[in-house]
Amino acid sequence: MNLLTSFQRGKLVDKQKELDRLVALQDLDMMIEEISEVKRLGFSAEGEAELTKAREDLAAKISKPLLYSYEKLKKRYKRAIVPVQEDNTCLGCFIKLPTSISALGRTDTSVIYCEGCGRILYWL
Amino acid sequence: MDNDDLIGYFSEHLFLPELQATTKDDLLKELVDQFVKVKYLKNSDIVLEMLHQRERLGSTGIGKGVAIPHGRTTSASDIMIAFGKSKQGIEYDAIDNKPVHLVFMIIAPPQDENNMYLPILGKMVEILNKAKNRTKLMEAETFNEFIDVISKG
Repeated sequence: MNLLTSFQRGKLVDKQKELDRLVALQDLDMMIEEISEVKRLGFSAEGEAELTKAREDLAAKISKPLLYSYEKLKKRYKRAIVPVQEDNTCLGCFIKLPTSISALGRTDTSVIYCEGCGRILYWL
Repeated sequence: MDNDDLIGYFSEHLFLPELQATTKDDLLKELVDQFVKVKYLKNSDIVLEMLHQRERLGSTGIGKGVAIPHGRTTSASDIMIAFGKSKQGIEYDAIDNKPVHLVFMIIAPPQDENNMYLPILGKMVEILNKAKNRTKLMEAETFNEFIDVISKG
């Protein structure tokens, strides 16, 4: 029996979309950071302006408080979102996450922060 | 970086000697699906989105029948390289507008130990710039033959 109401299901989908957008934003940021390196290796990069525009468009779709939190973490750590390994280790600070957090992270779609380093966690 | 240092990033599970795709979109999907199938990745949508964005920056079809789609993604925990080969060729919008036959997809996490991602990418470009390596890779039918070419390339 599905215990979630359609409203709750809708909320979960929204949260998941927001986390996915945030992950896509970080992936874009990493790509933009390394443009000069990939150019040096001989790859073409004529679409740099297009990529920057795509970054702006994506950022505009993320809620302001979450985007602020992402930018603040990015300034501090370079990578704001870090993957969580199967053994529930935060790949940012390498601490093992408490069971309460890891259970929540695997079942809920909320944005969850590491209690050790404060980065946003992304369960693989 | 030595050629032998590269070997550990390949896996027989990510060796596709007969790609089915004939277009760039299908190729990216075919390779990402393989990563998911062997459980190296979970979320194919996120990775595909990153790879498509990377192609917006500039084609990773570097010419001479070779493509190296690549990028860092938050949804990966290790550096992994998939290899695919297509005898008929894939329309890839490569820089020389020729079809692609050899594909190396490099997926890297946000931060990797010893920062190996860019040196790996550079080494792959170096190996694939040599005509004899491209010919041998086209001839390699098994994973062991393929690894032999990479280690000596």
